[in-house]
Amino acid sequence: MPGNCALPAELTIYVAAELRLQWLPWLASESTDETLVVEADAVVEVDAAGLQLLASLAVALQARGRELCLLDASAALRRACENLGMADLLRPTVEAA
Amino acid sequence: MNKAALDLKFMADALPVFMSEAREQLASLESLLLELEDTPGDRELLDALFRCAHTIKGSAGIFGLDRIVGFTHHVENLLDQVREGEVQLTPGLSTLLLKSVDQIRNLLAAVNAASGMDMLDDAGEDERAGIVAALQAVSPASAPSSVPAAPVLGASPGPTSPIPVASGVKRWHIAVRFGIDTYRNGMDPLAIVGYLRGLGNVASIQFDRSTLPALDRIDAESCHIAVTLALDTEATLAEIESAFSFVRDDCTLTICPPALSDSDLAHRIEATPDNMRLGEILQAQSGVAPQVVQAALQRQQQQRDTAAPAHPTASAPDENRFIRVHADRLDAVINLLGELVIAGAGAALMARQTKQRGLIEANLQMARLIEEIRNGTLQLRMVPIGETFARFRRVVRDTASELGKEVALDIQGGETELDKSVVERIADPLMHLVRNALDHGLETPEQRQASGKPAQGRLSLSACHESGHIVIRIADDGRGIQRAKVLQRAWDRGLVERGVTPPETELLNLIFEPGFSTAEKVTNLSGRGVGMDVVRRNIQGLRGSIGLHSVEGQGSRIEIRLPLTLAIIDGFLIGVGPSKFIFPLDTVVEVIESQSATPPADARGCSVVELRGKVLPVVSLRHLYALESPAPERVSIVVLKDGERRFGVMVDQLLGQHQTVIKPLGRLFGSLRGMSGSSILGNGEVALIFDVPALGQLAGQRSVPAAPLHRQDSPEHRVTAPSVEGQRT
Repeated sequence: MPGNCALPAELTIYVAAELRLQWLPWLASESTDETLVVEADAVVEVDAAGLQLLASLAVALQARGRELCLLDASAALRRACENLGMADLLRPTVEAA
Repeated sequence: MNKAALDLKFMADALPVFMSEAREQLASLESLLLELEDTPGDRELLDALFRCAHTIKGSAGIFGLDRIVGFTHHVENLLDQVREGEVQLTPGLSTLLLKSVDQIRNLLAAVNAASGMDMLDDAGEDERAGIVAALQAVSPASAPSSVPAAPVLGASPGPTSPIPVASGVKRWHIAVRFGIDTYRNGMDPLAIVGYLRGLGNVASIQFDRSTLPALDRIDAESCHIAVTLALDTEATLAEIESAFSFVRDDCTLTICPPALSDSDLAHRIEATPDNMRLGEILQAQSGVAPQVVQAALQRQQQQRDTAAPAHPTASAPDENRFIRVHADRLDAVINLLGELVIAGAGAALMARQTKQRGLIEANLQMARLIEEIRNGTLQLRMVPIGETFARFRRVVRDTASELGKEVALDIQGGETELDKSVVERIADPLMHLVRNALDHGLETPEQRQASGKPAQGRLSLSACHESGHIVIRIADDGRGIQRAKVLQRAWDRGLVERGVTPPETELLNLIFEPGFSTAEKVTNLSGRGVGMDVVRRNIQGLRGSIGLHSVEGQGSRIEIRLPLTLAIIDGFLIGVGPSKFIFPLDTVVEVIESQSATPPADARGCSVVELRGKVLPVVSLRHLYALESPAPERVSIVVLKDGERRFGVMVDQLLGQHQTVIKPLGRLFGSLRGMSGSSILGNGEVALIFDVPALGQLAGQRSVPAAPLHRQDSPEHRVTAPSVEGQRT
């Protein structure tokens, strides 16, 4: 259900709490897919809180034997991940066809 | 006091410091941007630029100034991208960033200094929103499609890794766990790491995921960020630590210095027992095997006392050599010093009256010390004028582009120091003169090329010390002052009788007359007709003078002479009858004994004497100020200089050098010409201080042949001689 899982333009502390609530259902998803594909091309603004939340999502998925896959991560997101040593979040990334 | 009250008190105490620092940061942001226009791509400047924005944002966060944090955040983001070479710093972008600086300044100005509350109305909100949108539009992050499809991935070499490792560059290992409240305090670890990147090259960085709660258990607004990184930099420990200064209190920071011995590493790991995990990562990163660490720990136990620390002891950085002092405190000291000088003079006088040699000598010694303290204290108030000059870079840039002119600004002597209060009060007049030069002086590129000059105009600002004064020159290579136009305007305005052509210097000085403006069309920059006379008045208010030299077609040069300080000067005390007067000592050239054959003074007390083959105009104070006392048999002439001009003043007594504390003249004496202030002498008498340039005008005017004009005045005017002058200007 890639249509439902997409990152917003703003991935910051100001929306972190709200995003967490939005993302929780992604964990509970009935889907048996091993990877959760999240569209990440819209991200314009990122801060550490946003990255932390994303990493936290990955941790939660990992605990459930699943994997987070960012689809077509935007430059802002890539840079932020690399800058904070979270490049592994990007690793299973998928370039848009 | 409870904690909340303590916090409030801290805020109230610290806020003014923040405000003044933020203003400094903004000023350097501005000057860095302008410098970068000359040397584009200078990595150091770019880094410094980013650090300025980062610091403003960081400290604003401490005070909870959300608007400033929010807005500066966008600026910081963009500057980071500029620094990384992702965005090119074009002139357009510079303009945008300069506008952002203005906005931050507005936001800062809206912060109520007393309460720390944001008192801003929403007036500038739209403009700021516009700027934010523009800033974001520039950033490539908002346009992911424009980015090459294969950016660098992975944690190893950073984007700037090809930088050759210079000899001073060392590798530091840093482990940091941010406090749980980091976000709530308005801090962003991402920005802090970004700041570190400004110090050097981050060779590797690893986020520690193991302590991060999963999404279903995490509090999204608590910070769980811990990273370890290797930093290649020439920076000192203190500089690296400064990156964490805003979060230092609640983060766990371990910095391993480069010249790392095993024992140091072990010691550091031992010192952070609650963070063993970080220590382990650190071990892995620096390639030290656990056994080595263990062994080192043991060895260290034995050698603890003898082992000298291997890490570089941060050589006291420059900033430690400065103390920030409130200007009011300095002023209070200087006021007290003034009183001390007066009291000292009083004591010396009484000592002389007792005729006790020992007492007199003790007083002389005191006087010497007081003079030294005076000089030292006044030195404290001296600030370089360069800061004021630097402001003009921006003005020149903006004004020139607004007028469609090309201008190169040349600044010299920015390190010249003068009294803070003078610097503050000279800024506006200077601004006006600079604008005037740009608006009226320099031509458009087309006009310049037509007259065979390079298209780019030149404007130079310079400052230097000259015999107890500071001289500021503003020179341009523009069209110069068109004398015919000035004359025509002066005739039209009735400043000069129609048909009369005053001599060269007087003609040029007409532009300083009230209500004079030669601009053909009134622009919004200058030409409102309230220009030069106000400038001259302001400068004279500082006991300074202004002069103008201009060659038609080749440019103009304005020269401003200012006293170094406004508070205390070395004076030369003289007496006429029972009255005492003071000349600033640096204006006194020499003193000559008056010949008995001195030609009789004219009705105004003016005469001339011959001094070494030259004619020296002499003015008699007794006549000029109608002092009613019998003239003594012998008089002295004090020769004074005002710039190039020399003139003599006839006095009765010479009382010698005197440390003069300048007190302003009351409003009552506002119309008194030739005086700039008063001073209290040791015996409580008041002496008036002469304004030498003004006195020179009084002396000079009466010797010019145009005298018939003044002769119309009735002789009674002699008594109120100053007011005669009043009609002239």
